[in-house]
Amino acid sequence: MPRRLLILVLGLCAAAQALGEVYQTPEAFVAEVFGTAPAPRVLWLTRELQAGAAAILDHPPANLRQRYWSDGAKSVWILEDIGKEELITAGFVISQGRLDHVRVLAYRESRGQEVRDPSFLKQFAGAGLAQGDRLDRGIDGISGATLSVHAMERMSRLALYFDRASRN
Amino acid sequence: MPFKLRLARTLRRWHARIGFAALIFFVLIAVTGVALNHGAALGLDSRYVHAEWVARWYGIRQEQPQQAYRTESHLLVAANGRWLLDGSPTGEKMPRPLGLVEMGDLLVVGGESSLHVYRGDGALVDRLDGYALPGFPLKAIGTGGGELVVQTPDGPFSSADVLSWRPGAPKVVAWSIPTPLAASDREAYARRLAPAISLQRILLDLHSGRFLGRFGPLFFDVVAIFLTILALSGAWMFLAPRLRR
Repeated sequence: MPRRLLILVLGLCAAAQALGEVYQTPEAFVAEVFGTAPAPRVLWLTRELQAGAAAILDHPPANLRQRYWSDGAKSVWILEDIGKEELITAGFVISQGRLDHVRVLAYRESRGQEVRDPSFLKQFAGAGLAQGDRLDRGIDGISGATLSVHAMERMSRLALYFDRASRN
Repeated sequence: MPFKLRLARTLRRWHARIGFAALIFFVLIAVTGVALNHGAALGLDSRYVHAEWVARWYGIRQEQPQQAYRTESHLLVAANGRWLLDGSPTGEKMPRPLGLVEMGDLLVVGGESSLHVYRGDGALVDRLDGYALPGFPLKAIGTGGGELVVQTPDGPFSSADVLSWRPGAPKVVAWSIPTPLAASDREAYARRLAPAISLQRILLDLHSGRFLGRFGPLFFDVVAIFLTILALSGAWMFLAPRLRR
């Protein structure tokens, strides 16, 4: 049983992986935003920033430093968070403390790909942080993709939070 | 004795017997079902069980660590997709390490397709993979002139901040190479590096019966039939007197 079960589980895992899709590499996204990608910068997460990020994500941030790209006017943040079971990779472009645009770069869940639709993502354009580090506008959910929508909201808030911290 | 009365007594007797005999399995199915239903909230997929007997039960071959990577004050031992950095586990599903180097306050563990950067106390600072690496696959890592050096198919690349890369390497590079572990250490580390199996998978297999082996699901099919009989006999015992009135 265990060997066959293992093969079955590995097979299912492989099938699930195959469903995951990379739509754009982070380097291509950064190059698209800036023309030529500037050198990456890092934001070190102090205890205060770690606490703020944890409050937004509902779990501690994975790393103690966050890479980002900036030309002074715009900053680009590539973030990852789990929707239901798998990581979603998204790129966030921020200009003057507001989201310029958002793109899903890789989606690995088997369901909920609707979060990469431009009609959904355009809701984030122009959003900033309100009190309590929440978005200053409501984001309409997608039936069947609730957890992915929540992950996108969390990452948007985190990108804005990090951008604000990087400018202070 | 009238037939209906005999039938009711027989039903009641077997209802009780089946209920008692299958009690443990009903409770097991109910508890694991509730837990799986709230798997995401309980974080079941990110919790792991590390036990040699569970790995053996699943037929997972346990790898014994043969070598370690050392710096002046740090030690990395890896096996079964797990790392022990200075004696502390660093996470699950880790790649096979290529080397360990120390750069000031930072420790860098290289794998074929990633670099994990740690603080001296073991906290993860950053994980570089894909676009953040200068090439793939990494073949070796080392230090030279205060810089991190990685060997790639396109040649060596150096970085002072484990962030930006320049092609080339300092003249003298100390490449990280493994040292063999003593037999007693191998066994001790093997116990601490037992393969990980996710709690979600174990609960799922307990729920479906697969945990019990090839015939487990069939056995649980029988339990399901019992549960159906209980439901029907319970319904009959509840409804029959009311229908007669």
